[in-house]
Amino acid sequence: MGTANVAVKSRAAPLQWRWPLVWASLLALCVLGMPHLEALFRLFEPDARQVVYTRASFATLLWRHLSVVAVAALAGIVFGVLAGIAVTRKRGRDFMPLVAQLASLGQTFPPVAVLALAVPAIGFGTWPIIMALLLYGLLPIVRNTLSGLLGVDAEVKTAARAMGMTPWQVLISVELPLAMPIILAGVRTSVTINIATAALGATVGASNLGDPIIAGIINNNTAYIVQGAVVIALLALTVDSLFDMLQQRLKTSRSAA
Amino acid sequence: MIELIDVEKRFGGVAAVEGISLRVPSGKVCALVGTSGCGKSTTLRMINRLIAHDGGEIRLDGQPIDSVDPVQLRRRIGYVIQHTGLFPHWRVARNIALVPRLLRWPKERIEARVAELMALLGLSFDELAHKYPHELSGGQAQRVGVARALAGDPDILLMDEPFGALDPLTREKLQEEVARLQSSLHKTIVFVTHDMDEALRLADHLVIMRAGRIVQQGSPLALLRAPEDPFVESLLGGLERGLKQAALMRVRDHMGSLGPSLPSASRISIDASLRQGLSIMLRDHAERLTVVDGKDVPVGELSLRRLIKETQWEQPTSP
Amino acid sequence: MTAISKEERTARQGSDKCFVPNIVLITLSLGLLMLLWSVDSVSIAPNRIVPGSGFMLWQALGLPGALLVSVLIAALAALALTPQKRFYSAQLIIIALLLLLMPFGLMVAGALLIEPDMPQARLGVSGGFWCLLFVMLLALVEVRLRLKLSRLWPALLLCFVAAVWWLCALSWLDHVALVQEFKARDAQFMRALQQHLVLVGVSVSLSVVLGLALALAMRRFSRLNRLGFALLNFVQTIPSLALFGLLLAPLAWLASQVPLLARLGVSGIGMAPALIALVAYSLLPMVRNTYTALDEVDEATLEAATAMGMRSAQRFWQVRLPLALPVLIEGVRITAVQAIGLATVAALIGAGGLGTFIFQGLGQAAMDMVLLGALPILVLALLVDASLGALAERLRPEGMQ
Repeated sequence: MGTANVAVKSRAAPLQWRWPLVWASLLALCVLGMPHLEALFRLFEPDARQVVYTRASFATLLWRHLSVVAVAALAGIVFGVLAGIAVTRKRGRDFMPLVAQLASLGQTFPPVAVLALAVPAIGFGTWPIIMALLLYGLLPIVRNTLSGLLGVDAEVKTAARAMGMTPWQVLISVELPLAMPIILAGVRTSVTINIATAALGATVGASNLGDPIIAGIINNNTAYIVQGAVVIALLALTVDSLFDMLQQRLKTSRSAA
Repeated sequence: MIELIDVEKRFGGVAAVEGISLRVPSGKVCALVGTSGCGKSTTLRMINRLIAHDGGEIRLDGQPIDSVDPVQLRRRIGYVIQHTGLFPHWRVARNIALVPRLLRWPKERIEARVAELMALLGLSFDELAHKYPHELSGGQAQRVGVARALAGDPDILLMDEPFGALDPLTREKLQEEVARLQSSLHKTIVFVTHDMDEALRLADHLVIMRAGRIVQQGSPLALLRAPEDPFVESLLGGLERGLKQAALMRVRDHMGSLGPSLPSASRISIDASLRQGLSIMLRDHAERLTVVDGKDVPVGELSLRRLIKETQWEQPTSP
Repeated sequence: MTAISKEERTARQGSDKCFVPNIVLITLSLGLLMLLWSVDSVSIAPNRIVPGSGFMLWQALGLPGALLVSVLIAALAALALTPQKRFYSAQLIIIALLLLLMPFGLMVAGALLIEPDMPQARLGVSGGFWCLLFVMLLALVEVRLRLKLSRLWPALLLCFVAAVWWLCALSWLDHVALVQEFKARDAQFMRALQQHLVLVGVSVSLSVVLGLALALAMRRFSRLNRLGFALLNFVQTIPSLALFGLLLAPLAWLASQVPLLARLGVSGIGMAPALIALVAYSLLPMVRNTYTALDEVDEATLEAATAMGMRSAQRFWQVRLPLALPVLIEGVRITAVQAIGLATVAALIGAGGLGTFIFQGLGQAAMDMVLLGALPILVLALLVDASLGALAERLRPEGMQ
């Protein structure tokens, strides 16, 4: 198995870093250079007292935003993939319809409403937004894990078992690798949606990139809104292109193998 | 009658099909045979203008097909495809009624036609008419596909690997069915297949294609007798060609009269093929077979010597 | 050989269905029992702002009431041990019974826990109660799937339950915080609900029409295809919050420059920017689903239609569209559910809607008011989701199941 892995890796195309690098450097420029762009934002709001959001540095906001999304995504991957694996095993199969239904319910619940319900339950701050994001992002992960694992050719699994693999080995070295592109696509959807959704956290006191937007709406300051929106959009594009790179890599290594 | 005269089709400058000339007289069956990608499907689909031809001329009963509205043309031509192409959202009856409805037949006539066709193809109306395609077996679905193609009572039937997706048993049964239908309906049929046995069984005229060109065409026996190059020979079964030829010959046409000697205990039906005769001889270690008619009455004799002579006579030029 | 073993296997599975316990329902009911006896079911607060103190199930209902509920739930688990069709029907009845008993439980709790000399006191609904509701809904889904019922019957059952709750709430549940909150601003609530529905209704119908037209145009002109999707994808990267905000200034400017638009109701804040943002967001799922729905129709089927002599219009209306319709409706469902959530945010730019209560409530730290906004939004989303899902199921040509 080790040699097979090496063979695949040596044949895989190099990672395509170009787009992630482009977006990431734009993002960095924007975040660090925001105070210097005052002249530009003056154009939006010629009369405002202040045109660049300064209550917190954009780097801090970005960090908070990113960590909220990352925690929610990690929890989503852990729960989603584990649930997907559990209900595709023989013993858990009875739970499959229920889990599928639950996951789709998660996406039916509007994140603002979940946020609003989470606040009375666990208070203001970061945790309600993490919970809301987790719920909202769970569906794509669970759905794709399910379809990925169910999509693995039954003959391939039979062959693996016939060769003497244990169920655990079948899962780890056959099913999961084969389902990986689909699972990854689910994680990508989930994370990209949640980067934009996380901005809502600003309405319940979780300080992140949504703050400038809320401040802009309240103070009628378009410049603030643009700043928040641009940074969030660049963040979304950066992360999305990273996922794209991973998917391309997975695809080329597959077709080469 | 279908005529193709020097027909050509190019896809992006590359010739997919070139110099195709063939004639299918009314009531005859023509098979286009070749390996995949040889242009046989393209040729077929040019006849009902699913694909437009770029050069040459295609005529139906002397009329160039370009002069007819393609929609009207297609309603006159039945079409059967490999994976049936049945509409999944329509029941069997509605699927069969498609072309009559397009032709705006009166309702009673359509209903009568559907019932007639289902009976003709051995499909139980009560059991199947109200089922959806996904509820049918492969064989049933393909029968419905044939029924649908015949519904508008077209003179011409085109079939694109009609039985390719079926298991061997079902396929053979449907081939028999089509042969039986053809003996009473006398449609002009062009069909595409890569199964040489199917082509030999059904076709009056065999067209062998390779790389977009016709390699050889003629009657099945003529081709078996004198394949023009190794490709055709290998398609025709190589070393088993003799058996294939014997399979095309009926005992009825090649038996001798009952001899004075004691009749053999091994029997063969008068409607069987010489190939089956040979097989029975091998099985029974018999050099002679008694030929019997439908009522099991002996009517003649088939001997190994005669069998060899008869097939030799059919194959005088072969080395 | 394989055929036989397959038959054997299905036969064994068939017998399995009768005798193997339904672990899903057992897990659900046992988990629920544990939760009910360990988590607060209701809370009592002396007034609107002060957080309440919690009470357990046996305190809220008295021991007999708590035991009754537990016995019913245990019966659910017991029936799941040897599931048969009639047992599932019995479980359906138990679930309905529990759902119907919930408002009466609140009445009992009110009578037991609220001192008569505290007119300001409010009964809050806490974790245990919500768990009961949630698990019952899950159990309902499971039983529905086992009984192979269509979505319609459970939906009707839930409508009946909701009607009973509504009646109870109007006449006897005055001490429940949510009801008090509602009664204090029922006119305002109705107006917000109406605004919300208008926002969602108008934006979804606009985007359905626009989305269909766009998808058809993109199918016809392949050059439009890339540009269109690039543009729609770009819109999606802008956070919804920001899109609402970004429209404020341009629209205010437009309204000040073109008086006609201002007279038509276009202004920087309110309905106009909210609708524009909602439509902009709704277009992508709508166009994408329409496009793929039309595109995914089996090529061979379409070719068969052509070969049989269908004209292109006949082929579109009789074959392509009917086959694409379920996926298309699915797009409408996704769009509508998403719009219900997004319309909530529109409250921030003065478009009204149920979001008003959420943001006001959050601002005043009045959680009951937040609930008054959030719960109807959830119910609305579920309702639209279920009904459009059922519609898609209905429209799915029977042969396609």
